[in-house]
Amino acid sequence: MKNLDASVRIPEPLTVWSGFGTAQVGTMISRLIRLGGPLSVLLKDLCGLLDAALPGHRNSVLLPMTPGLPRAYNEFLQRRQVIGDEWPGKARDQSEALVSDVMSDTVRASNVLALAQSLPACYSLTNRGEARGPSSFNTALVLQFAHMAGVAVARVRSDEALKRSAAFLAEVQRVSSTGSFSWCAATDEITWSEEIYRIFELHPEVPVTLELIRTRVHPEDVPLFHKMIERVRGYCSDFECEHRLQMPNHTTKYVHVVAHGNRDRDGGLEYIGAIQDVTQRRLLEETLGKLRSELAHVARVSSLGALSASIAHEVNQPLAGIIANASTCLKMLAADSPDLEGARETARRTIRDGERACDVVIRLRMLFGKKGAKTESLDLNSAAREVIALSSGELRRRRVNLRQEFEDLPPVIGDRVQLQQVILNLLLNASEAMSGVEDRSRQLVIRTELDESEQVRLSVEDAGVGFERQDVERLFEAFYTTKSGGMGIGLSVSRSIIESHQGRLWAELNHGPGATFSFSIPTAAGTAQPTGMVLTHCGRIL
Amino acid sequence: MTGEARSEKFVMARGLLVSIVDDDVSMRESLPDLLRQSGFEIKAFSSAEEFLASNCVSQTKCLILDIAMPGMSGLDLQQELKRRGLGIPIVFITACTDENLRPDVLAQGAVECLVKPFSERALLDALKAALK
Repeated sequence: MKNLDASVRIPEPLTVWSGFGTAQVGTMISRLIRLGGPLSVLLKDLCGLLDAALPGHRNSVLLPMTPGLPRAYNEFLQRRQVIGDEWPGKARDQSEALVSDVMSDTVRASNVLALAQSLPACYSLTNRGEARGPSSFNTALVLQFAHMAGVAVARVRSDEALKRSAAFLAEVQRVSSTGSFSWCAATDEITWSEEIYRIFELHPEVPVTLELIRTRVHPEDVPLFHKMIERVRGYCSDFECEHRLQMPNHTTKYVHVVAHGNRDRDGGLEYIGAIQDVTQRRLLEETLGKLRSELAHVARVSSLGALSASIAHEVNQPLAGIIANASTCLKMLAADSPDLEGARETARRTIRDGERACDVVIRLRMLFGKKGAKTESLDLNSAAREVIALSSGELRRRRVNLRQEFEDLPPVIGDRVQLQQVILNLLLNASEAMSGVEDRSRQLVIRTELDESEQVRLSVEDAGVGFERQDVERLFEAFYTTKSGGMGIGLSVSRSIIESHQGRLWAELNHGPGATFSFSIPTAAGTAQPTGMVLTHCGRIL
Repeated sequence: MTGEARSEKFVMARGLLVSIVDDDVSMRESLPDLLRQSGFEIKAFSSAEEFLASNCVSQTKCLILDIAMPGMSGLDLQQELKRRGLGIPIVFITACTDENLRPDVLAQGAVECLVKPFSERALLDALKAALK
């Protein structure tokens, strides 16, 4: 008996009562069962009834060896050996059985057989006096007793199993921070498990309404919450969303909701679902994002040295123009017949060159300044052109011929600075890979296109030394470098950035000399929302 | 600049063609105006190839030449002029801050190598040296 209450005790054989018929015994047993109570008390009372109904006999309830029963009893059963094959039929089909002599070895053997067959109990009847079979009355009475006792045992076991299952479910919900709910869309009747009350920090006796839930939804997510409710209320579907809660103490929680729509017998729409508190996961993701951002910044700053000559070049060019124009302006004004129109023109050029220098500084500040990730819709071609402008001096210094092949692209969602960092890294790597090339043109092609899977792809193709085919994945490992002065974090960070944009970064050897490094990221239309409420319908993001 | 100095420059520059080759539009606009104020005749070109294709090569008395340009670099043009037997004095101008560059180009026969941004004085001194 696997799920028997540990409080069950083996009843002592009871002494004789009299004056009961089988119908009366049955009625009394039924009443006892309805009244409920611990199984041990119930069985004891049953035995009392049977003893009273069968004067001159000794009755007992024999239970299989079960954890929770007295150790002596279990040990006794364990020591017994099956003798012969008595009682085999009844044991096999697990029906009620009647045994005439509870004191004989046969009964003990039967008891062991009952144990082997996982019978909940066997009830036996001992004839004090001469050995003979039970009377038909006794047989009928005991069989009824056995049946009713079996029902009682089964009910108690069922109750116990249900309690254990409920306790298990509650524990699982608590451990996983997941609660279950049902929502009748027509009546807005909502049922919550205890865990959802805990997540929403509401008292379990508070009646749940949509309005009550709304008071806990983060104010910024309320419009989306209403939109979701109205969308799924109208027709049967599955839905999934993630949104924030705002607690009375103004702390924020993140919950993930999944639900399945069903029609009941009357055609009413009911959703059964689960709500999981994913706050810890979201906070960890945010922390990870911050760390990734820090690392990306370190990588950017480390590339600043490689760009210093290029930066100086980009700033010096307009400065030279400013000085020349300002000098000319002064000369024009200082002439015996001042050339005012010429002076104006040179002053305008001075301003233009000043703005050009200013743009360089702004680009530098944007690319190398320390700031958190910012997601926006952007044109990858434009972002790439800014990087090229910043690095063109360096490329020129390295005698690299840069060719741009840009297709018109749809916008992408991403962090402009981080994507520019990846492009810069690829350009500088390509340039460096060609630094020793003297027998051919140092041709570098930067190409953008919409690929076959409707993702935006940017490739940087060089004519450099390439890499060993077996090292293709190691290139992206942190601190793996083939450069004498490299830290080996550029490509690793670049891959991390691209993956955080739901894309991928890879390298291929060219058919000719050199290699091509490419990344592809989804277009704005194909990007899943990284934050806020996401509503899916039948497994598809709407 | 004093009137005397201005007069000296003007005399020095009168009738001399100085060609400027620089891919940077700002230089091609500002330097000609500046040098014309000193009396030079100026032609500006956006690339070495454009200069070589012009009819100014043989008339050019001094070349103000950017080093890093797309296509043929300033150093390539210097070699090409040498190959053609044209000994045009060259004043290199560059935005590159590489310290080794100046000694290298001077060793190749350049009159001067000015790093941008440079002063008007430095440029005129270099031209003066080139036109001696």
